[in-house]
Amino acid sequence: MRRMTLCQLFVIGLAIAVGSATGTRAENVDLSTVPDRNTVQLTIYNSEDLTLVRETRKISLKRGINPLQFSWANTLIDPTSVELKFLTHRDELEVLDTTFPHAKPQLLYWNVESEFDGEATIEITYFTSGIRWSADYVLVADQDETKIAFEGFVRVFNDSGEEYEDAQVRLVVGEINLVERIAQLASIGTKDVADLGKAATVRWKKEAVKYSMFADADSSGAGLGEMREEKGIIKEGLSEYFLFTIDGTETIANGWSKRMRSVKPVDVPLKIQYRYREVEYGSQLVRMYLMRNDVGSNLGTSPLPDGIVRVFRDNGRDGLSFLASQSINYIPIGDEIELNLGVDSEVVFELVKGRVWRDHIWIKVDGADVFRRVDDGNIAVDVRGSVAGWDEHAYYIQHVRNFSGKPIELEIRRLLPGHVVFRNGLGAVLHDYQTVQVTAKVTAGQRAQIRYEVVQHMGRNEKQANVKLVDIR
Amino acid sequence: MQRLILVTLAVLTACFATPETASARIKLITLPVRERVEIQLDNATATLVEEERIVPLVKGVNQVDFSWANTQIDPNTILFRVLPRPDGEVEALEVKVLSVSYPPNENALVWQVAASGSGSARVRISYLLGNLTKSFTYRAVADHDESTLVLSQYIRLQNFANEAFGSTGLWAGFGPRFLKAVGINETKQILMEKHENVPVRKTYTVDATEFGYLDRPKNKLTVPMHYVLKNDKANKLGQAPLQFGKVRIFQEDGRGSTAFIGEDWGKFTPLDDEMRLYVGTAQDVVVVRTIDKNEQKRIVGSLYNREVIVKFEIENFKDRAITLDIAESVRAIRNEVVGDTGRDVEWELGPATTFAGGLDKSQSTFDKVVLHADLDARGADGTAKKVIHKLHIIIKNEW
Repeated sequence: MRRMTLCQLFVIGLAIAVGSATGTRAENVDLSTVPDRNTVQLTIYNSEDLTLVRETRKISLKRGINPLQFSWANTLIDPTSVELKFLTHRDELEVLDTTFPHAKPQLLYWNVESEFDGEATIEITYFTSGIRWSADYVLVADQDETKIAFEGFVRVFNDSGEEYEDAQVRLVVGEINLVERIAQLASIGTKDVADLGKAATVRWKKEAVKYSMFADADSSGAGLGEMREEKGIIKEGLSEYFLFTIDGTETIANGWSKRMRSVKPVDVPLKIQYRYREVEYGSQLVRMYLMRNDVGSNLGTSPLPDGIVRVFRDNGRDGLSFLASQSINYIPIGDEIELNLGVDSEVVFELVKGRVWRDHIWIKVDGADVFRRVDDGNIAVDVRGSVAGWDEHAYYIQHVRNFSGKPIELEIRRLLPGHVVFRNGLGAVLHDYQTVQVTAKVTAGQRAQIRYEVVQHMGRNEKQANVKLVDIR
Repeated sequence: MQRLILVTLAVLTACFATPETASARIKLITLPVRERVEIQLDNATATLVEEERIVPLVKGVNQVDFSWANTQIDPNTILFRVLPRPDGEVEALEVKVLSVSYPPNENALVWQVAASGSGSARVRISYLLGNLTKSFTYRAVADHDESTLVLSQYIRLQNFANEAFGSTGLWAGFGPRFLKAVGINETKQILMEKHENVPVRKTYTVDATEFGYLDRPKNKLTVPMHYVLKNDKANKLGQAPLQFGKVRIFQEDGRGSTAFIGEDWGKFTPLDDEMRLYVGTAQDVVVVRTIDKNEQKRIVGSLYNREVIVKFEIENFKDRAITLDIAESVRAIRNEVVGDTGRDVEWELGPATTFAGGLDKSQSTFDKVVLHADLDARGADGTAKKVIHKLHIIIKNEW
């Protein structure tokens, strides 16, 4: 049910001037005509509750002052954003003023001065809230886990209170800055729209079914009895954002949502890595699916918007196994897609602290600013003093047992705060100044042990706050 | 009672071009039944239901409506896939899903499906379903001398999803697939595997930190008895990780029957790992633990070494010889005699340690000391020989 109307007003009764020297508008008895929308375009942002609506209508104008009324009862339009433009007769038409009557919220008047009698096409733009979109992805790995069928979808939700029929839909991927929320600027909140009543909801739903069946048939140029192709989505860059434009037009009734494919199924090469990163994944070894959003991987035509990824795998028994559901953040073209599948019960990973010892112990002599090293032999047992510095050694063994039946690639990152020496024969590298990274390959059935020693300088021995690598091969 | 409904709407009349004529449309609704259902239980926390239906389609655009009531289907996980024809059959229809629409305030969705001709298509609908959960239980029957046991593993399916499933394939990700009917609010327990002649190792362990004291004033330690099963092929297991679940343990009584001797939660046990099952307390093995020596030796200033001797007086009143495993946390010993300094303990084994074989290095860590003591059976007169063992720990560089 349409709630937004544009009326042309004609004075037929007792006229009361409403503040304009150029015309009068009746307060109680009006005659109006209601021009329909010709086209409507929705540009929907997913980072904010914001949609830019651009609609065109044809109106007939007479020479002189033409009052136009635009109202949007029970919708979520930001009144400060409503604009009127003339697409034809631009030089002969002018908006003299815009009035927001105190007594009638969700309504405005334009006084339009025309230099001609005849038809003009106008464009009305405004921001509304209550329309949003989201992305989601369905990934099905093959049984061998060498490639994954990648499909992307967009889903448009319309809770705006308004029906938009045959609308061109454009989706903006990216984060824009807003200083005020559109829903706050609109005169009623989203919850009020939701509370409009079940009868109205049912009525909208019925109409939506009606609209969706016919509008889609019309927009594609095919009848219901013809095979139709799935709509394409055109993807193009726009400033810092990406714009997805859905082919043709869509009708998404109020209260409904509609999901369409944004990435047609493609086979994407898959890499599996096992990671131990305590900061990111907790104290566990997790299995990762790694892919890349690039042309070489049959993707890379656009960034992948934020969304939920649902990962399945062909279980080899004419069915699927559900592996994981995970949110991903915006993935630019060329960037890596990382999916955490959780712990693999076929790969056992245990961290064992094998031994602890201390050396390079320093004593601060009581009553003096003098430090003596305990193991240099020049300090008497009965010297009064307290421990002021030492090195704490810990010897670790990370046991890995691979029962997965395939060789695995392992990456271990350990965050080691403080002044640390990492002694190993593993070819470890620094991921950052306090994080050590070790990689290894473990063949099928292998029991591997990754051994290293961590020396922590404590007290007065702590001179830095970083990790130094020492290769002991 | 089936609560999931799949409806196809086929337009029988000519196509109407305007919404105003919509009310004049004549609709035929078909209700395709399930042809096949598979319940995939291989995910630790989620249950995936896959059902196949044969959907009649007309040439052009069809609406396929899927609705559910009073079930916890996650609508965001619903997949609709058109299955290819079996090999050798001609592909009769080209079928494409154009879009999915979600009505407000309703557990339903509508697929718009385009078909190249009129005919039927086999589709598979998959979704995650809540309140259809699985768990595992075990029943172990040990032989009379407790050297082997028969381990039966059961899967227990609880269907509180408010949806009945007729003959349905069930698969846990390992083991056999079952074809069973699962009714609403039904719990179904199915035998998955039966492992015969599984060697069992019986252990007696004392660990003051983990198992505590049976009689604290008399310093008598609790001596739990465990059954230990190794999940590998050499021990007649090793086909898959053993899932977490309750293990009820019985023992053949030698008279053709069995007796229940205890139960424990079996932890998730990967391949090649051991499942330790606490069966009960062995009160015929008496272990008294005392600190025999606590001596501090100053190195310099506030820096000390400390020597601690823990004494174990052990009596085995059982009629057979056993091995007692003795575990101690060095940090707990230090905290007991000095207090907690917040630091790990640097230590070494002292010469007064009496355990033959010394430290069990395969089980000991920077903090945990594991040793073993072989104990003879009680004498013919019923008396037990008291064995005294000492654990000598030198705690170093403390302050």
